Amino acid sequence: MRKHKSAKLTAALAGLALTAAACGSSGASTGASSSAKAPAHITIGTLYSGSGSYATSSQPQLAGLEFWISHENAKGGAYVGAYHKRIPLKLVDYNDQSSSSTAAVQYNQLITQDKVNILVSDFGSVLTAPAVTIAEEHKVVLFDPTGTGTSFFTPGNSYIVLTSLPTSGVWPDPLVSFIEHEKISRVAIVYDSNDFDASQATTIKDGLTKAGITPVVYEAVPTSTTSYGTIISTVAAKHPQAFLELGYPTNDIPFLQNLQSSGDHFGMVFTAFPGQLHSLLESNVGEKGLAYTFSYGFPPQISSSKVSEGMTTARFVSAFGHGKASNVNFLDVAGYQAGLVIEEALAHASSLSQSALRAAVASQSGKLHTLDGSFDINSEGAQLGERLPVSQMLPANGATTTKIGIVYPASAANTAVTYPAP
Amino acid sequence: MLFEFAVVAGILFGVYYALLGVGLNLVFGVLQVVNLAHGDVVMLGSYLAFEAYYAWHLNPLWAVVIGVVPALVAGGALYAGVGPRLARAADPEMLSLVLFFGISQIIEALATVAFGNNQRSVPASSLGAAPLRILGERYPRDWWVVAGVSAFVLAALFAYLYASPVGRATRAVMSSPRESAAVGIDVRRVSVATFGVGTFLAASAGVLGVFLLGGVNPTEGVSITVTAFAVIVLGGLGNAPGTVLGGLVFGLATELTQTYASTWSGLVPYVLLLVVMLARPKGLLSKSARVA
Repeated sequence: MRKHKSAKLTAALAGLALTAAACGSSGASTGASSSAKAPAHITIGTLYSGSGSYATSSQPQLAGLEFWISHENAKGGAYVGAYHKRIPLKLVDYNDQSSSSTAAVQYNQLITQDKVNILVSDFGSVLTAPAVTIAEEHKVVLFDPTGTGTSFFTPGNSYIVLTSLPTSGVWPDPLVSFIEHEKISRVAIVYDSNDFDASQATTIKDGLTKAGITPVVYEAVPTSTTSYGTIISTVAAKHPQAFLELGYPTNDIPFLQNLQSSGDHFGMVFTAFPGQLHSLLESNVGEKGLAYTFSYGFPPQISSSKVSEGMTTARFVSAFGHGKASNVNFLDVAGYQAGLVIEEALAHASSLSQSALRAAVASQSGKLHTLDGSFDINSEGAQLGERLPVSQMLPANGATTTKIGIVYPASAANTAVTYPAP
Repeated sequence: MLFEFAVVAGILFGVYYALLGVGLNLVFGVLQVVNLAHGDVVMLGSYLAFEAYYAWHLNPLWAVVIGVVPALVAGGALYAGVGPRLARAADPEMLSLVLFFGISQIIEALATVAFGNNQRSVPASSLGAAPLRILGERYPRDWWVVAGVSAFVLAALFAYLYASPVGRATRAVMSSPRESAAVGIDVRRVSVATFGVGTFLAASAGVLGVFLLGGVNPTEGVSITVTAFAVIVLGGLGNAPGTVLGGLVFGLATELTQTYASTWSGLVPYVLLLVVMLARPKGLLSKSARVA
């Protein structure tokens, strides 16, 4: 009896659904009909690291994305072009604890169980790597804020979009030019053995070799390295003018500390993260340990006053950082930037299908200008629009702190370079 | 020149690694317990140094002294609480693994809540700014200070083990708990004291590790336990003096590899461990040479 009732109910629901579908398809071109079948909300799924090595970087990225979501929801949601209306955004996020194996399970869960409309990866290449294959397998577009490993972007995979930074292999182009410009001929490169750092090291080595400079040291070290004293001594014995250390913040901090206590001095010291996580680095190594260190330059230190979408740098600092630039780091901007790219995808896609979203992103390439710079991707989804200038941490406030100055190229520079470092 | 530097650095780090492992080995030798929370206690010691320097404006080395009583009491109390239950278990070693893994996770979670996720550091200059020039080479001063304090704590430990009544009783229990009980040694009391001493040794290694291990973060406990375990297996499980040899071998292997083949520096010490295990399964100071 109960079975019979249930079958009747199913048939009735199926009939209703078919009727609704028929109405929907007949009136697809009208706004009113489109609105009728619009989802109650757009679900955005992402992961973050609540603990572990990447927590420091992952959490600001999530904060930037959340900021964009709350900002859009305050307006009634993101504008979805396919339905000609704003639809509220809902965030589903899981804590991967900086573990790529946990992340792999959770990315799968976001796609298969939560059935998210938009998939956003966690910070960095290590935690993005598992998402790349999973997203491709399920034919879901991966919005990738900071996973810049060059191996992610291949001609066969159209299901990834790097929203913020260029691929890490492109990062050092201005750095190589700077080294040539300063006529530095003895360069030591020590890099962590992971995709992110190895691709930067390769670019630098190839660029320098083209310029006739052979690095005096070119060594990989394990990503888990936290003691650099002996490595610094080994490098110092080769008398380089420039020492480039390519690692994550957990490497940059002990490296700069060990360098300070070693008593060794190099005309130029470069590490990747002081430009991104300046406050963290300064609180750990102090003003003396950070002064005159070179790094990449990132927003918000690179200020954008003309944007086609979203907030200008000044407005973002005001709204997100409560008016204090020191409250904002690049990863906050990267999370917010991912939101802006998603916003464009939703606004221009003909439907919420993944292929339509990907096509919409491609259509906005070269047209979108935000506080993060120009959004310009190639057919593989790799970001090409941004170039990271060279920055230098310069003593400020009577040498009690440091500030980030952009020193190269001249078109982006806002202060003079100090080379060799005193 | 590079070789000399690497050897001296290896010895300095080796003395520290010995301190890092000796508490774990002492606890294993006496209690037959693998304390998987050892690295987390080391991590707490590093935070104590951080607080001593930034919150109380003290030389961070004072944290070694400040940590003595809390570590002895907390370690002793913990073992007094769980020891009897472990003793009654059908498989106490397996239960201890699970139990201390749980404690490790709890410490990590509480440390994350208390201190946040960010890496924290204490400047090496707090132990003296200028590098030391020895045999024509320049060494960071903090390496020498850390190795010196580690050697002092190790010497104090061996004085305790060989010259005090409780220490002699500890060595007796390490050799044979049953025979020790038969001659009137209170094995339970010795066990509680040993766990307290082991906790203090881990905490003091943490105070010093904030300089040699690149700062502190709440999740570093597991990797520290792995390093400490490698050191004590190299020297000989349950063999406290062997830990010193294990630490020196581990330190030299790490620093020499960093100098001549830095790409493999994360691998070589563990390959060495494997080789030692195959050649001398009971560690470098095997049972025939064992001195409890």
